[in-house]
Amino acid sequence: MVNKNAKAYSMIPEQFRIKKKRDWNALVFKAALLAPAILFLVVFMYYPIEETFRLSMTRSTGLGPTVFIGFQNYVRLFQSEEFLMGLKNVLLWAFWSVVIQIPFSFFIAFSLSVFKNRITKPLRVIYYLANVLPSAITAMLGRFVFAPRHGVIPSLANKFNWQWLARIDFLGNPDLAFWSIFTVATWAYCGFYIIYLMANIEQIPKDIQESAQLDGATPWQYARFIVLPMTSYALRIVSILCIVGSMKIFDLPWLMTSGGPGYATSTLGIVLYKNGFVNWQYGRAAAIGVVIFLLSLFFTIIQFSLQRKEGDVL
Amino acid sequence: MLKSKKAVFMALLLVVAMLVGVFSATAASKFKLVVWGRDLPDDDPAHAYIKALVNGFAAKNPDIELEYLALGDPGLMDKTKVAMANNRDLPHIFQSWGGSVMGGYADAGRLYDLTKELKDIPGSAAAQQAMTWKGKIYGVAPFFAIAGVFVNEDVFAKYNLEVPTTIAEMEKVADTLLANGIQPFAVGARDKWPVLAMYMYFVNRFGGMEAFDNAQARKARFDSEPMVKAAELYQEWSKRGYFGPTPLGEAYGDAQQLMATGKAGMHVTGSWMCAQYADPSFTDQKIGFYPFPVLEGGKGKATDFMGQTDIGFAATRMARENKEAVVRFMKYAMSVEACSAELGRICSVPGVKAPNRLTEMASAAFTKAEAIQFWWDQDLPPTVTSPLTDTLQQFLLPNANVKRLLTNYEMVVEENVGPAK
Repeated sequence: MVNKNAKAYSMIPEQFRIKKKRDWNALVFKAALLAPAILFLVVFMYYPIEETFRLSMTRSTGLGPTVFIGFQNYVRLFQSEEFLMGLKNVLLWAFWSVVIQIPFSFFIAFSLSVFKNRITKPLRVIYYLANVLPSAITAMLGRFVFAPRHGVIPSLANKFNWQWLARIDFLGNPDLAFWSIFTVATWAYCGFYIIYLMANIEQIPKDIQESAQLDGATPWQYARFIVLPMTSYALRIVSILCIVGSMKIFDLPWLMTSGGPGYATSTLGIVLYKNGFVNWQYGRAAAIGVVIFLLSLFFTIIQFSLQRKEGDVL
Repeated sequence: MLKSKKAVFMALLLVVAMLVGVFSATAASKFKLVVWGRDLPDDDPAHAYIKALVNGFAAKNPDIELEYLALGDPGLMDKTKVAMANNRDLPHIFQSWGGSVMGGYADAGRLYDLTKELKDIPGSAAAQQAMTWKGKIYGVAPFFAIAGVFVNEDVFAKYNLEVPTTIAEMEKVADTLLANGIQPFAVGARDKWPVLAMYMYFVNRFGGMEAFDNAQARKARFDSEPMVKAAELYQEWSKRGYFGPTPLGEAYGDAQQLMATGKAGMHVTGSWMCAQYADPSFTDQKIGFYPFPVLEGGKGKATDFMGQTDIGFAATRMARENKEAVVRFMKYAMSVEACSAELGRICSVPGVKAPNRLTEMASAAFTKAEAIQFWWDQDLPPTVTSPLTDTLQQFLLPNANVKRLLTNYEMVVEENVGPAK
């Protein structure tokens, strides 16, 4: 068959044959279109990543000579109480974010999408509002709520004469400080997850919901057996964002407690900032940056490989 | 008609071009002096000196174009650090607290030696020492801060209390205040660094000036006896409730409010608070400033003070572009005219009258000082300063093992500075 075609093709006069030559113009055009994106990636992503790796192998104060010390920074990091506390805190933060924030966001998103009424729209705005506030304002509000003596909680407790509550130091007690910040973060970050999940829930065709209703499915069954599987991809994306965000968390713990008391609310981001900008240990700070990068990469790969196993298209 | 209009237009254009040329030539002849500072030169009473300095210098030096950039806190320190590390885009002068941070810049060759030009400017020896590194003077410190005890004299009078001169007396005063529902000390430990002032004094009173000096010079460890005893005393006072029920949840601003409203009896902090505690719009309490008490049997003396530059300026290597302009700025910063605008800080320039009773009290204490130890977090190398304040903050936790905390800190110092010999 092939040979027949080739024979027939050879019989066509040369001037009428389709020349199978490389279209350089198209290639240049494609390269020109891709160039800005590639350049951007190289300059702002790959080069800084490579530089961070390189810096993490050095001892550098930024002022004196930069000395190559191999993996010493990493070894020292894993001997440092502050770093280990930061690592523990971000892992806990990631775990509790997935366990608490995502189910909570799903519940709210489902309620707002399925039970629509007059207050649904204002509620969407209210839930999302915390997300658009700058973190400095969010932290200030958090401190305003949890501050001892004059905060919202102690003031209310004093009003009702609940002295046991008024005496609790939410930000100064190492056992409570983490949870106080986590509560504020849940309020601040869930807005985005809610909106994202709502957009996905609302894309489920109406006829599926109607047929479920006709089959007598309760809202719980509808959520459990239809919405949850159909939004599984969105939920995974949200959990990746949640986990990667947890690895990098800096603003709220820094602004609310500066990572204290002691290292009780310290995170990898805080340890990085302190090492780089306070302690002048740029090599050590870069090593922490690499650890954050690798942790984020690790969790992202785990998430996507689980997804592949279950047959979702990426 | 058209021709004459054209001619007039051309003539106007020529005049404008000439004027532009003249003005740009004038601007070009002006030297642009770039100064990085912390505070805005605005009407805030705490910024009175900076405002007077910026405006006064600009008025008196028309040949210099002063570009003063207020970067805030920690903006000033962060930007300076980044610029010094990059070794470019440096200002001619930056606000500095001296000590080891400035020393690090000097060692890296980023600063300009002005010893010859500045050594004879009248000022306190301690202030000049703070801006000196390895025998070279890099700047001036018109204001100096010492730590002491701010005492609410109204509260003390109400409960017939005397200002304590010994630690034992201080404990009795604290017990009386506590019994009457007044918090003995305001501290604001959430911000970590406010814990340092009292701890520095405790260490000094137990072990004298050499307790810290030796540890810094690596002739002693940071978990040596005076350090541990001081930490144990701090923790003991915290357990007794001297710092209130929630010291770790309160920031430095909260501590100020406790003093300003008469809810706390004492505040051990720097004399930079004089302006606010003397300001009737900030507090209606009568507050005084006193030296930290001595410890019976301890090595430290009442004339040993903890202190540091309050406002200082250092010259970068860019100063060689126009040394004369930089020196003029430094001299004006140390002038009686500029310094007299200040409303609270202790001035290191002779002839400047203290603006209020509180500053007068702090200045009097400063003049009696026989030895001044610089603020530890400014005097130790930057590599070990944040672990220091992290460590000290935990002394206020009732279950913390202070000896272990200090040993951990010693390990950090050993790693970054070297072992104690």
